[in-house]
Amino acid sequence: MTQESGGPPTVAARDLVLSYDRHIALDSSSFSIPGQVGTIAIIGPNGSGKSTLLHAMTGLIRPREGALQVLGKDPVAIRSVVSYVQQTTQLHESLPITVRQVVAMGRYPKVGWWRRLSAHDRALIQRAMDRMQVADLASRQFAELSGGQRQRVLIAQGIAQEHQLLLLDEPLTGLDLTSARTIDALVHGEREDGCTVVLTTHDLDEARAADQVILVGGKVLAAGPPDQVLTRRNLETAFGLGALHGWKGFLDSPHHD
Amino acid sequence: MEWLIEPFELGFQQRALLGGILAALMCAVVGTWLVLQGMSFFGDAFVHGIVPGVAAAVVLGVDPLLGAAVAALVMVLLIETITRGSKLREDTAIGLLFVGMLALGVAIISQVDSYFGSLTAILFGDVFGVTAEQLRQQAVLAVIVVVVSLLLYRPLLAMAFSRPKAELLGMRPRATHVVLLLTIATAVIGSFQVVGTLLVFSLLIGPPATAALVARTVPVMMVLGAGIGVVSVVAGLIVSYYAGTAGSATIALIPILIFFVVLAVTRLARSVAGAKRVEVAR
Repeated sequence: MTQESGGPPTVAARDLVLSYDRHIALDSSSFSIPGQVGTIAIIGPNGSGKSTLLHAMTGLIRPREGALQVLGKDPVAIRSVVSYVQQTTQLHESLPITVRQVVAMGRYPKVGWWRRLSAHDRALIQRAMDRMQVADLASRQFAELSGGQRQRVLIAQGIAQEHQLLLLDEPLTGLDLTSARTIDALVHGEREDGCTVVLTTHDLDEARAADQVILVGGKVLAAGPPDQVLTRRNLETAFGLGALHGWKGFLDSPHHD
Repeated sequence: MEWLIEPFELGFQQRALLGGILAALMCAVVGTWLVLQGMSFFGDAFVHGIVPGVAAAVVLGVDPLLGAAVAALVMVLLIETITRGSKLREDTAIGLLFVGMLALGVAIISQVDSYFGSLTAILFGDVFGVTAEQLRQQAVLAVIVVVVSLLLYRPLLAMAFSRPKAELLGMRPRATHVVLLLTIATAVIGSFQVVGTLLVFSLLIGPPATAALVARTVPVMMVLGAGIGVVSVVAGLIVSYYAGTAGSATIALIPILIFFVVLAVTRLARSVAGAKRVEVAR
């Protein structure tokens, strides 16, 4: 429970239990990630509860037991500074909507139901599209894009929104190289802008590159700096003994265990 | 051009045309949201929910609009209770609600002597019986429906995109959903005299669903849907005049015909374009 960088913890849980459709997705977990840490990776196998934990950080899923705080507050109370980017598979497939309209939704919290988009809003929308390299797709139909392009558009929507915390649900899973590089650059850029990025992944390399890691396997098994969390024993607990063959090199490097 | 004007020479024919156009306009605009929210089946169930209200109004001798409005409010409350409280599958519950309301409506109307005529008018409409007073009411309802549908543009667009995202963007999807239900109810109330409660679904879903096959933005979909709706009303009345068929039913038939024609044409166009691409690739 250290607070190295000052400010409230980015995310802190006490005896947190999360359920999804009546079954327990994340069993009793307590952990704390310090404030202003740059990048936080939530890693675990499929169905381990990592997306549920990310979801809970938006306040869309409420704790079944225990407490979860984000930036020192209840997740619902700080929605205006948290931007959540969901997986592309969870979207309406045939909605007639252009890329620019999708990104513009990121300004909805500011402009509400009726107010017109200001020049400032439009500039932020354009900047978000530029950063994610989707400006040339602005008038294209969202439904006609490739998976990687859609992912970049969704992230552009996320960063068009004012935020201190950017939550990305499996942003790099199954992407083309261009999209993966653009998103990787964005994650680094966000850190330089003083924003914290939380992303879920099942890729060890991605987790190793983060500043802080939350290892999940039915519950939070460990949380903290990667070299302390991604130990052989922890990973075996999370992923099972047989699953670790591919990562042997990584695990055997003296630096990590 | 004589044949085009002849079906609209008499006063009751002109009122039918005007009433039909007003119904088509409001149905297309709010129906666009219904289609985009993936609530077509739900909308079908919902429009039948007003039958008992209209039936009770006929039995009690009060304004059918009032009966319909009360029934619509009851439906909204019941649907909200079902979707929030019960773990039963939502579509099953709503399906049961729909058939229950329909049965209740028929049971109520069977109390009056002119049972059959009243029932036919409620379920299948009486487009040539539209009065000037009803037209005025319809015009007011149409303005309300169109204005609310446009005011809810952002929350409904965000909801159609992703409901969780809509909530996180502060678009209040739950409140929006209730307002959308009330707006659909208003459109149905403003249209059932023209096409009846069973057939109003055709004007509500047919034109927007057709527009969705070709439109690239939501506003275009609304305008196109409204256009298709108006054309359907005009064409339906002309066909009914010359073929001697029931006006309301003929109006309801046209949007569905247009839908399947456009569906076939767009599929054909797509397969031709696909074949061309293969040829170019060779």
